[in-house]
Amino acid sequence: MLFRILKNSFLKRPKAVFLVFLSIAMGAAVATAFLGIAGEVSHKMALELRSYGANILLEPAAVEGGGVLHEEDLPKIKTVFWKYNITGFTPYLFGVAEISSGTKRERGVVTGTWFNKQLEVEGEAPTVQGIKVIAPWWDLRGRWPEAADEAIVGAALAKRLGTAVGKELVTTVGGRSRRFRVAGIVTTGGFEEEQLFAPLVTVQELLQKQGKVSRVLVSALTVPMDDFGRKDPAGMNKDDYEKWYCTAYVTSVAKNVEEVMAGSRAKPIWQIASAEGALLKKLNGVMIFLTILALGSAATAVSTSLMASMAERSSEIALMKAVGADRFQISSIFLGETLIISIAGGIIGYLIGDRLGVFISRTVFNSTIISPLWLFPTAIISALVVALAGSVAPLRRALLIEPVRVLKG
Amino acid sequence: MAANIIETSGLTRSYGDICALKPLDLRVAEGEWLSVMGHSGSGKSTLLNIMGGLDRPSGGSLRVGEEDLLALTEDGLARFRRDYVGIIFQQHHLVPYLSAVENVMLAQYFHSVPDEAEARSALERVGLGHRLKNRPGELSGGEQQRVCIARAIINSPKLLLGDEPTGNLDHKSTLMIMELLRELRAEERFTVIMVTHNQEVATWGDRTIYLDDGVLVREERNEQGES
Ligand SMILES: Nc1ncnc2c1ncn2[C@@H]1O[C@H](COP(=O)(O)OP(=O)(O)O)[C@@H](O)[C@H]1O
Ligand SMILES: [Mg+2]
Repeated sequence: MLFRILKNSFLKRPKAVFLVFLSIAMGAAVATAFLGIAGEVSHKMALELRSYGANILLEPAAVEGGGVLHEEDLPKIKTVFWKYNITGFTPYLFGVAEISSGTKRERGVVTGTWFNKQLEVEGEAPTVQGIKVIAPWWDLRGRWPEAADEAIVGAALAKRLGTAVGKELVTTVGGRSRRFRVAGIVTTGGFEEEQLFAPLVTVQELLQKQGKVSRVLVSALTVPMDDFGRKDPAGMNKDDYEKWYCTAYVTSVAKNVEEVMAGSRAKPIWQIASAEGALLKKLNGVMIFLTILALGSAATAVSTSLMASMAERSSEIALMKAVGADRFQISSIFLGETLIISIAGGIIGYLIGDRLGVFISRTVFNSTIISPLWLFPTAIISALVVALAGSVAPLRRALLIEPVRVLKG
Repeated sequence: MAANIIETSGLTRSYGDICALKPLDLRVAEGEWLSVMGHSGSGKSTLLNIMGGLDRPSGGSLRVGEEDLLALTEDGLARFRRDYVGIIFQQHHLVPYLSAVENVMLAQYFHSVPDEAEARSALERVGLGHRLKNRPGELSGGEQQRVCIARAIINSPKLLLGDEPTGNLDHKSTLMIMELLRELRAEERFTVIMVTHNQEVATWGDRTIYLDDGVLVREERNEQGES
């Protein structure tokens, strides 16, 4: 009987039913599309954020002077458990030298590093590593060094030395001299403007520190820290430690890298890591907020159209009450109707939203997404939530109808 | 004399300042056919609705069968209506998108379980065996009123209430409906309370009460009704 009532009531008022269906389908579609691309958006955003600086610093574990890292360990960074999360890294070797250009000279920091080094690691796809990858914001006048005797000079240092792109510099350490051609002048707004950057090998020779590195900056995709991530892994049991290790917290990725670099200690660069975490959290918050907003407006639309059809059906409801329908029976008829509409709306909304998500990620992010399995049940549940939320006010109104007032002859 | 199915004492109903029903003491015997007359606005519908559990009195006491209607909750009143009462309205109030037989089954559905065979035989009893699948819009006024009657009696109520059920019908249809109700009452032994404007319709009852401005002003026994 319920089925007959529902069937006939649908057939009788196709327009009203369609309106409700449309609102629910649109809400479910928007929710599906948003949630479907949310993962992709976060990922792209995280990638984007990686260009704002490295978030892990590797230093020698030994506190006083002596400690060094070894260049030969560097390729191992591309083999660790979290290797796919590591978007780039670069080694640094620092030394103090006398730098002279023509008649001007001063003591300054000479840094050996990689600029854009082709890194071949056995069993892994070749990658490019170095400053160019890890610090794309460097504002470079000129070009990146290509030969062993080419260097980049920080803008402040270059100004004091009165040097320019194409000119030559001489660096002297302990009686050994090395001549460099200025390939580029760099402006960063930071301490880099005071330094001279040259290829790692050349600086190792200059400083007589063959194969040595003073620190490594690593840029890794990480998940925002949460309460669990902040726990001290040293005090964890095996299961917790495994869970911690297998979550891409900046601390666990750092630990991961530390393990392959002999004599190293890895530290998250907290300004970067936590700012990034906060931003990603906010981004997720915005996506969820927008989804809720879309569902909320769908629910409002459902409520409005149900309210309108409720007014139209008040005599029908009054009659049902008059012949003895109680509140539960009245509710089940109306909720049954919205349930059917919302399941249909959820399915259609899912199909539309899924396509929409694919379309958005193709046009906006230029990437293909595969919708996760949970998206379908989520779409159906959002449709049901929209329908239920939209039914509250109309149902209340239906339950408040007094048969005598409506059926008055 | 049979036991009373309805007993009221000091029953009132007011809408704000308007007193639709002044303190009323009334007894209706089981199986009796009571006609209620009075000019428009005298409180007839108010009284009928209260006795049918469709409306709540403002004061006094009201017993119908075993039930103290003032003590019932909203859902309790709904249960009372479906178990105890059949109602026939002047405006029929059929669900427009359901066929005649489905309209009858609707009352079964709220009462217990719909039984199409039983609903069909109820319509046959009111002489509509040939119009089962028609929607209310396809039926004449008299036919619609028969569907209403079939719906009202389908759950074997103890109390059949009619609020001017023949008010919209021509003389011939009115007589047919009254005849039908009389037959059904003879078989089902329910109590009838019927509000009417029509003196002739009133005389089909055993007794007529007259309301004026919410007060029971007069009552009389009808010889014809006794027959
Ligand atoms: N819902 C209501 N609100 C306010 N006044 C009402 C309402 N229903 C009925 N009344 C008033 O109660 C009185 C009796 O009404 P009613 O019982 O419908 O009279 P009858 O059926 O005899 O014509 C009238 O004065 C009417 O205006
Ligand atoms: Mg009336």
